[in-house]
Amino acid sequence: MPSNLFNGIKGPIGLIVSILVLVVIFAILNPRFGSIENLRNVLYQSSVPLIVVVGATLVIQMGSIDLSVEGVMGAAGMAWILLSPNTRLDGDIGAWAWVVAIGLGLAIGLLSGIVHAKLTVPSFVVTLGTWYVGLGIAILLYGNDMLPTLTNETLARWPSRLSLGLPNSFWLAAFVMLCGILISNYTSFGRGVLAVGNNESIARASGMSVDRIKIAAFAIAGCLSGLAGILATMQLGSGSPDIGFGQLFTVIPAAVIAGTALGGGEGGVTRSVLGVFLLIILNNGLVLAGVDSDFQSGVFGTILIIAIVAVAWPGRGRLKVAK
Amino acid sequence: MTSAIPPVLKLTNISRTFGKTKAVSNVSLTIQRGEVIGLTGENGAGKSTLLKILAGIERPDEGQMEINGKLANFRSPNDAFRAGVGVVHQEQSLFTNLSIAENIAYQKGSRTGLNRFGIKNWSQINADAAAVLDKIGFRIDPRARVGDLSFVDRQMVEIARAVCVEPGENDTPLIILDEPTAVLEQAEVAVLEREILKLRKFASVIFVSHRLDEVLRICDRVVVMRHGQVTTDRSTDGVTKQDLFKAMVDDAPVEVSRNRRALSANAKPAIEVRGLTLEGKFRNFSFAAYPGRITALVGTNGSGRGSLVRAMFGAEKHDSGTILVDGREVSNWSIRKAVAAGLAFVPAERKVEGMIGGFAGTRNIALVHQRGAMAGPVLHPRKMAAIAQTWFDRLDVNPNNIHQPLDQFSGGNQQKVVLSKWLNSPNLKVLMLDHPLRGLDVGVSQSVNAQIRQACQNGTAVVLIPDTIEEALDLADEILVMRDGEISARHDLSDVGGLAIKEIVSEMV
Repeated sequence: MPSNLFNGIKGPIGLIVSILVLVVIFAILNPRFGSIENLRNVLYQSSVPLIVVVGATLVIQMGSIDLSVEGVMGAAGMAWILLSPNTRLDGDIGAWAWVVAIGLGLAIGLLSGIVHAKLTVPSFVVTLGTWYVGLGIAILLYGNDMLPTLTNETLARWPSRLSLGLPNSFWLAAFVMLCGILISNYTSFGRGVLAVGNNESIARASGMSVDRIKIAAFAIAGCLSGLAGILATMQLGSGSPDIGFGQLFTVIPAAVIAGTALGGGEGGVTRSVLGVFLLIILNNGLVLAGVDSDFQSGVFGTILIIAIVAVAWPGRGRLKVAK
Repeated sequence: MTSAIPPVLKLTNISRTFGKTKAVSNVSLTIQRGEVIGLTGENGAGKSTLLKILAGIERPDEGQMEINGKLANFRSPNDAFRAGVGVVHQEQSLFTNLSIAENIAYQKGSRTGLNRFGIKNWSQINADAAAVLDKIGFRIDPRARVGDLSFVDRQMVEIARAVCVEPGENDTPLIILDEPTAVLEQAEVAVLEREILKLRKFASVIFVSHRLDEVLRICDRVVVMRHGQVTTDRSTDGVTKQDLFKAMVDDAPVEVSRNRRALSANAKPAIEVRGLTLEGKFRNFSFAAYPGRITALVGTNGSGRGSLVRAMFGAEKHDSGTILVDGREVSNWSIRKAVAAGLAFVPAERKVEGMIGGFAGTRNIALVHQRGAMAGPVLHPRKMAAIAQTWFDRLDVNPNNIHQPLDQFSGGNQQKVVLSKWLNSPNLKVLMLDHPLRGLDVGVSQSVNAQIRQACQNGTAVVLIPDTIEEALDLADEILVMRDGEISARHDLSDVGGLAIKEIVSEMV
């Protein structure tokens, strides 16, 4: 029975096994893959999508989707670098740069959430719009002047510097993950998100403030995209409106592969985190295994499709109404 | 003040009118502590409206309601909940992705202890839920996920939620169960019955069901409604199902509204199944439906008749056996092929499978047989409209507006359109109907039945899954009684004189 075969892949144990299998295969293909060096590299690469996926998971669990990630990252990243020590503007405001940049993310997230919840517009369309709003802000900030580059060595080196043997980027992501898991499991908001995702009308009938939950989820997702934009900018060392390029294509498949159904109500932050690791390891492993870079996108996409089919297999519905 | 304990519920002359229909008319009812009352009656008898009044969803036009001796004037379901009326509605209202304990906690609302500053107190939530589950004697881990539970266990969680009502110190909660057994299998029903009986230790129960044997088994008293009024209110001692049937339906015996047609010797079946089997649903099933005859499949919900008809229409796969249409064996049977061969199927879940609610009547009717509405390769709006208008007129659809989205019509008029969609066929050979009268009022039911008879007269073979046995006796030429996926009896009504409902019931269970 194919359904039995694939059933195991659904749970987190299946995910962990898949990750281990990938690690073993890539380690055999290229011994360098298993080195501490490369482990740090994988954690470093994972940190930005890990931060984004926490917010994205909350939104997807609710049955909505947030496509604005890349735009918000660009806007927040540009705002942050222009307010930090950089080659273009002399407007360093220190830690306040973080507040402003994350606040920008929050504002865009609130916009998405309010339009989605109050005007009952599908989140798919709303966040497609706010994506470009964010991108537009980033492009305006980028302007036609010279590229803003970080001048402060401490800041530029912070993401890759090691603490307790692991890069700071990863520690930041780990902190966000921990908060995400706590919010999801121990707060009314986190449980409300799952309730809304499972059945919105029952949630309303149970007296939950569904609109507030929705807006809050998008606001958190916006903040985290903003934070991810800052981290990515720091990692690159210079500002770019395209700083978030490709993140959406990592984060949403990661959540879905990990079992967060796009219809809402299922999955969790922990699983999504594993999903991100799976994709990043896959990407990293393909490079180290010497797959021609021209083929990488195709191979990556194909493996993604196979993985999603495998995950979705047990949930296929027959042409039948449950009584 | 009397020292006697007041009744848990006392209704005096309650009435509720919708437009011209008196849904509930002068109902008086008293329920004592610890009593289990069975409430039954045909569809549209007023049970649902009465329940809605008790649950605070509807307000009565006239009459007085007392709960535990206190005058009740509910403005919302919350008022009812606080007065001690807990309702398990027909549709499940649980979050399937959350734990039992969490579902129970949501029912209790944001009471202290469960939730401080928005932080969940899991140990308190689980302990509270365990206490409630213990109260109703249901042994299960409160941390289990509702989605992993069987239907009967989910029903128990619903009951646990209803039991969380907050009546006063010495007051007795009133638990209303609205057809809790409708979705359950036979074995599960037995479990639920046992659990319901435990409730009487601390609550009074109103048990609504169509299944009379259950009502008689579980309840102390039975209340039968007909046309909005209580026709019977008596102890279940010595009552037979036959008595209840009589109180539910109008006294007249089932009137046969058409001439039964005997099977002629050289008739060829329009559709035939031989040894059809789907594990767990139906086994080794053989029968044939002939042009101009109506075959009714009678049985309980779990008898497999729904699956059988779906398999015949290609909507469900079967494990073994053959289907013959017009004497030829079919292979790779599918809905597409079935429709092309002149089969039609009116599904039980009208809103889910029968129609597209956002589409107007024109487009719904043009969903299946399009040839008459085509101009070259495209659908022609005016031809589509003309066809729809014909059917709207013929079936007297109200409102007679073919351009109005179908979900704005009443259930009965929707069903007329669904039927039209299939009747609008150039070669209708087999018409299969799964509960065609579900939720319809008497008038619409008659006009739907008239269409079924008409199709039959025109030489269509009809396979009917009726709501009631009366419906089968009224329409059918042949009745197949199904039990546990097999035929337990066949009655050819064209040569049998009178067939008793009682006899068929005994063959069903």
